[in-house]
Amino acid sequence: MEYTFTLRYKLADGDQEPDELVERLAEAGCDDALVGIGQRGYLALEFNREAQSALEAFQTALADVRSAIPDAALVEAAPDFVGLSDVADLIGVTRQNMRKLMLSHADTFPPPVHGGSTLIWHLDDVLDWLNARGRYPVAETTIETVRLLRQLNLAREARHLKPDVVQTLDTYLV
Amino acid sequence: MARPIHPRKEIEEALRYAEEHGWRIEPGGGHAWGRIYCPYNDPECRCGEFCITSIWRTPRNASNHAKALRRVVVRCSHLED
Repeated sequence: MEYTFTLRYKLADGDQEPDELVERLAEAGCDDALVGIGQRGYLALEFNREAQSALEAFQTALADVRSAIPDAALVEAAPDFVGLSDVADLIGVTRQNMRKLMLSHADTFPPPVHGGSTLIWHLDDVLDWLNARGRYPVAETTIETVRLLRQLNLAREARHLKPDVVQTLDTYLV
Repeated sequence: MARPIHPRKEIEEALRYAEEHGWRIEPGGGHAWGRIYCPYNDPECRCGEFCITSIWRTPRNASNHAKALRRVVVRCSHLED
């Protein structure tokens, strides 16, 4: 199967010459990724990776980038955190339609993980909701990928968890 | 302005599509063939890292690469309206 996902990295040295990094990525086997170099100090790779599973696709992609640029730090695996426009793009409807869909099903639509002026959801929550409604079928590999993207971001964030805080507050988090 | 033609037809077509939407193309590189530059490459730009995207000379899958390049342009150009 082919798995599509984006990995965003922060470079250890913002002055690193992007051209040189791109060449190193090619040699490490990232020639199945689109490489974005438009933000100083960051690098994004949109992979189209052939693998037996999403997990294998992620593992090999992460390993390839690590071997090309060992000191680059993964900051985000995408799409996981999304706005309505991102979801609309993904399922092929307009943003207005997506907004209407959300507003007319306010009782069942998954709650955003971030509120305020820009609402943000976990994409897998929204895809599960869409799938349950059956009108916007999403490919199985996409769902598998998005679930794993969330896991990857969680695993990275979990490194900041403080055990004493979890122990005290965990009961209130369900 | 004359620029070199990308050896892979589907990628060359994607590059023309980008140019039609105001993107600038700059050849140069080894494994990389060049770069495309978003016309809105300023602090307001919504493309993020992909407002400058590297083009491969011989990607693993030329058709996938061409599609991915087009997606970058589409994502950018339809967010402005």
